[in-house]
Amino acid sequence: MFKQITDLSGNEWYLIASLWIFLLFFITVGIRLFRMRKDDVDYMKSMPMDDGDRQDVDSAN
Amino acid sequence: MQLTKFNYDNKIVRNFAVATIVWGIVGMSVGLLVAVQLVWPFMNFDLQYTTFGRIRPLHTNAVIFAFVGNAIFMGIYYSLQRLLKARMYSDFLSRVHFWGWQLIILAAAITLPLGLTTSHEYAELEWPIDIGLTIIWVVFGINMFGTIIKRRERHMYVAIWFYIATFVTVAVLHIVNSVQLPVSSWKSYYLYAGVQDALVQWWYGHNAVAFFLTTPYLGLMYYFLPKMANRPIYSYKLSILHFWSLIFIYIWAGPHHLLYTSLPGWVQSLGVAFSIMLIAPSWGGMINGLLTLRGAWDKVRTEPTLKFMVVALTAYGMATFEGPMLSLKRVNAIAHFTDWIVAHVHVGALGWNGFMTFAILYWLVPRIYKTELYSKKLASTHFWVGTLGILFYAIPMYWAAVVQGLMWKEFTPEGVLKYPNFLATTLQIIPMHMLRAIGGALYLSGALMMTYNLVKTMKKGRLLANEPAEAPELTPVLVNERAPHRRLERKPILFLVIALITILIGGMVQMMPTFMISSNVPTISSVQPYTALEIQGRDLYIREGCVNCHTQTVRPFRSETARYGEYSKAGEFVYDHPFLWGSKRTGPDLHRIGKKYPNKWHFDHMLDPTITSPGSIMPPYPWLIEQTLDASTTKAKLNALRLLGVPYTDEDINNADADLQRQAEAIAADLNAQGVSTRPDREIVALIAYLQRLGTDINNTPAATATND
Repeated sequence: MFKQITDLSGNEWYLIASLWIFLLFFITVGIRLFRMRKDDVDYMKSMPMDDGDRQDVDSAN
Repeated sequence: MQLTKFNYDNKIVRNFAVATIVWGIVGMSVGLLVAVQLVWPFMNFDLQYTTFGRIRPLHTNAVIFAFVGNAIFMGIYYSLQRLLKARMYSDFLSRVHFWGWQLIILAAAITLPLGLTTSHEYAELEWPIDIGLTIIWVVFGINMFGTIIKRRERHMYVAIWFYIATFVTVAVLHIVNSVQLPVSSWKSYYLYAGVQDALVQWWYGHNAVAFFLTTPYLGLMYYFLPKMANRPIYSYKLSILHFWSLIFIYIWAGPHHLLYTSLPGWVQSLGVAFSIMLIAPSWGGMINGLLTLRGAWDKVRTEPTLKFMVVALTAYGMATFEGPMLSLKRVNAIAHFTDWIVAHVHVGALGWNGFMTFAILYWLVPRIYKTELYSKKLASTHFWVGTLGILFYAIPMYWAAVVQGLMWKEFTPEGVLKYPNFLATTLQIIPMHMLRAIGGALYLSGALMMTYNLVKTMKKGRLLANEPAEAPELTPVLVNERAPHRRLERKPILFLVIALITILIGGMVQMMPTFMISSNVPTISSVQPYTALEIQGRDLYIREGCVNCHTQTVRPFRSETARYGEYSKAGEFVYDHPFLWGSKRTGPDLHRIGKKYPNKWHFDHMLDPTITSPGSIMPPYPWLIEQTLDASTTKAKLNALRLLGVPYTDEDINNADADLQRQAEAIAADLNAQGVSTRPDREIVALIAYLQRLGTDINNTPAATATND
């Protein structure tokens, strides 16, 4: 089954390079996540709950 | 702190909601009609304008761009204002956006039945409408970014990232996939040909699913699900991780639509690898949605909106598991071109898009009308009828797919195809197609129940067109925020640029080598451009939407070479503007149809397919025999194609009309000799010329070899 991604007649580097690009991208995003503060996360999470109008108070009841 | 008073624009939200409902019913009804036509072809009412090939694109466009499109705008216009604590940037632009979008839909509904199509799936609209679409999309972008700029909330919530990614990616996809050279006011040729055109189209096609049917809906989920469940999203960090991974990975996956075709192997493999990886960010979204309901599952029992959301998320999870699975080459070999793909997209469209749209409508309409939903009970009934509809749709389609896919591949012990007649495999699955139509009818009846319920709700309440709100104005940032993503969340333009770069990487890695390195598309010296008559015939093939049921690419399997002939090579398509490989085999592949049957066979087959193929579900095309070919465009077409790189000589173009006439007379003479009375100027003659040419060039000179220069 893995033949289809190993036997590419010299074009494997496209695949390898692409996976490396993604890995680096993924790690970058991951590092950014670890550097987030809990307060900020909680604030962002609560955003949809506060619309600036009276409606949310009604719907919560 | 000083609070500023302002109003949210609910009227534009209401307008998009009404458009969503109206176009939803239209799109689903056309879907039901095409489903019925696959059982009873006479349901086209013997009209060319309502024949499957022309109205199947009408169904897909209506559902994707009219139903889902309006629902996206409804949800964005509601949530964006509230998440940013600002009214939409410009009421005028909102109105232009709304009416412009409806006008484009109307133009599609008129032009597609008329046969004005580019044949690129989900991008069928001809160039004038493409330009209109671009303008309206820019209007939407200006309105959205204007609102973001004048916001009263410093940071952009995750939903807005998805909206930004949607905006920028759809713009890129639409522009790149619409590079056409107009021939007349309603006819154009794509810049790319053959393999390259296929790569661009499926890069677009797959990412239309990603960035029109998925990312905006994930954005809507991130806003409306917490509202409905009345609790914040499960994990904000997961949303960041899955957002960036999703938009990065999705763009690479397009080539999985072209497995085993003549697309270069390494591009296919890239598509497979990234498609498999795609399950992770997709399920990240599903898990984040479902876990938001932790502690609120009791509400699912009583709230129809949450019922719809749970099934929507489950359908999303199923479709995004199935996608990577179908991308595995071994699975794809059986599933591709069968009803499996139809089932797969409908689990997504009916379950994920449809059900989330219903949930949002049920939640939002009572709120902007300041009343309660007319009947929760009816909404629950809608939920169950709709769910049954999805099951009745999907299960028979899976069944049909496996049955037909295996029948295509079955050999007898003597080593010949067990079902050499394609039609035998079609007739086997007709009962499944009937069941599918019942599933579709159930789903549509659910939507009608919702319409009644919402109309009653609207009548009960009164639209609060301008909803008062208040929020403090933004103050300048005094402390530099340490976390980079935190900073990014308040920089919309930078966010747009980074999202743009993220989505460009995949497309560039796949496309640039395929376009620039000639060894990726080895040419074949015996492959020649089409003649003038064949070009006209090819354009009739495009007009009638033959590509919706017939593929033109023979995959390198024993079961296919035994059935159709030599497998398709990249070099055979270098003059195909656009490529016509298709994506579904409701009928057999046609790439090697040329010279397989006499001209008269094709004439009879078009007059009434059951003459040559008893039991066939292909509709008759008598109008091709009656209508006169419009040959006035011939020179313009050849000139346009020459401009795109097809090597027509001056002589070819100057003599185009005479050549066309000569070839048509030869075919008409042959038909007349076989006892068919027809004139050379009829459309059928051009279509026969094209069909008889298909896939024959590689046999022309025995010494024809692939070259790598």
